[in-house]
Amino acid sequence: MAVSADGVSVGAVQGAGTQVDSEPRKRTRREVARLLFGSGAVALTPVLAGSRPSQSANRQRHTDIPFDETYRGRHIQGAPLPLHGLSALGADWRVTVDGHPLHLMRRADGTWLSMLDHYSWYGTPLEATRAAVDELGPGRRLRYMAPGPLGGGHPHGEAEHGVRA
Amino acid sequence: MVYVRKNVNKLTATEKRRFVEALLEVKRRGEYDEFVRLHIRHFRGDGERGLRAAHMTPSFLPWHRMFVLELENALIRVDDSVTVPYWDWTRDRSATSVPWTNDLLGGNGRRGDRQVMTGPFAYRNGRWTIRAGVTDDRFLTRDLGRSRNPINLPTKADLDRALKDPVYDVAPWDSTVTKGFRNKMEGWGPDSNPWLNHNRVHRWVGGAMLGGGSVNDPVFWLVHAFVDMQWQRWQRRHRNHRYLPARPPGRGRGQDGRIVARHERLPPWDVTPDELEDVSSIYQYA
Repeated sequence: MAVSADGVSVGAVQGAGTQVDSEPRKRTRREVARLLFGSGAVALTPVLAGSRPSQSANRQRHTDIPFDETYRGRHIQGAPLPLHGLSALGADWRVTVDGHPLHLMRRADGTWLSMLDHYSWYGTPLEATRAAVDELGPGRRLRYMAPGPLGGGHPHGEAEHGVRA
Repeated sequence: MVYVRKNVNKLTATEKRRFVEALLEVKRRGEYDEFVRLHIRHFRGDGERGLRAAHMTPSFLPWHRMFVLELENALIRVDDSVTVPYWDWTRDRSATSVPWTNDLLGGNGRRGDRQVMTGPFAYRNGRWTIRAGVTDDRFLTRDLGRSRNPINLPTKADLDRALKDPVYDVAPWDSTVTKGFRNKMEGWGPDSNPWLNHNRVHRWVGGAMLGGGSVNDPVFWLVHAFVDMQWQRWQRRHRNHRYLPARPPGRGRGQDGRIVARHERLPPWDVTPDELEDVSSIYQYA
C-alpha cells in the first residue's frame, strides 16, 4: 500500500526545551491531502502514447462518407480529415453543427459517440451527429472546446477562446 | 486522520450547507472549471489512438478515485469539515428525493431548455455559471429520468451483478468487454441493454451529465463517490483479486501504450493504480 497517511513520522522536537510528542498527533486533513498530493498541482499536460491499429479499423471504410445536410433546421456537415494517416483508426472527422465544431469519438467496436452524449453510440458519424442535434434541442449552440483531432486537447483554457458568435 | 464520506441522505442541515458553500467557493475561485476541463480532456474513445486513462479502460476506477480526492482536497482548503458525500441511487431513486432537494443540488431542469431553476446551483442565483460546457448554455441543465423516453436508475441487482464478478478486468481492456468488475461497473453494455450502473446514472440525470461537461453538475462527485465505494466493496468481497492488468499488455495485442497497467503512472497524476488500491488510511465510507 503506497498511498498512506500513516507510517510517516510526524512527532517532532519543537525546539529547545520543548517535549518530544509521545504519540503521533492527529494529522489534519490538509496534511493528509498534502501527503497524497505532494507533487503539487495537477499536471495538465496530455499524454499521447504510441498505438497500433486494431481489427475495428476495417469498419471505418463503411462509414467514410462525407455528409452535408439540414437536419431539424440545423446545418450539419462532416468529412474525414485529410490527414487520415495520423489516426490509426480514422477517428478523425471534422463535424460541424451550424458551423460549430462537434467532437466525435470512436469506440473500439467502430461505433461513434459525440461530446454532447457520451453514452449512446451510432454506426456512422452522420447518425451520431443527428443524435447530437436531437440532444442539443432548439436555440442552443455548441461551444468550441472539444479536444483537437488528436485527442490531446489544448493545455490552457480552451473554453476561453470559444466560437460563440 | 481518516475522514468519513457519508451517505448524502444522512447529512445534517449544517453538513449540507457547508458542503454546498464549499462547492460554490471552489467555483468562485475558478478551480472548479479546471476540474471540468480536465475531465473533458480525458474523455477519449477506445477506438482512437493514444493512452486512455479515465474511461473505457481499467483505470476508470483509480482515475476517478484520484479525481474525487482532488476535488475533496479543494473543498478541504475552503472548509476542512467537508467531505464528498455519496448518492446511493439504488435507494434514493426519485427525481424529488435526495440529492435533488433545494438544500443540496436543486431539482430537475424545466421543460424546454432543461435549465435547473431551484437550489444553490440554479443560474439565476448567480453563483454557478457554466463556463466550460459543450453548449453555449450558461446554466446547468438536467433531464432526470430522460423525459422523452423514460428510463430507470440502475438497481441493487445491477450493482450485485458487477460486484459478484471476481475478476477486475479482462482483455482487450476496453468498452467492449462483457466480463470483469470494471466494465460491469463503468457500464458499457450490449446494444440490447446499453447502460449499466455508472453509465446509466449519467444517462438518467441527463443534461450536462450526458456529455463532455458532466462535471458541471455537482452530482458528478456524489455519483463517483458511490462508484468508488463499490470498488472498495468489491475488494473486500474478493480479497485475492487485484487491479488488472498487472503488467502492460504485450505488443501486437492492440492495447500496448493505450492503457495503464498496475504499476504504471496514471496521468495526469504522479501516482499508479497500485498506489490507489488501498485508501483506507485517507478516508472510509459510512
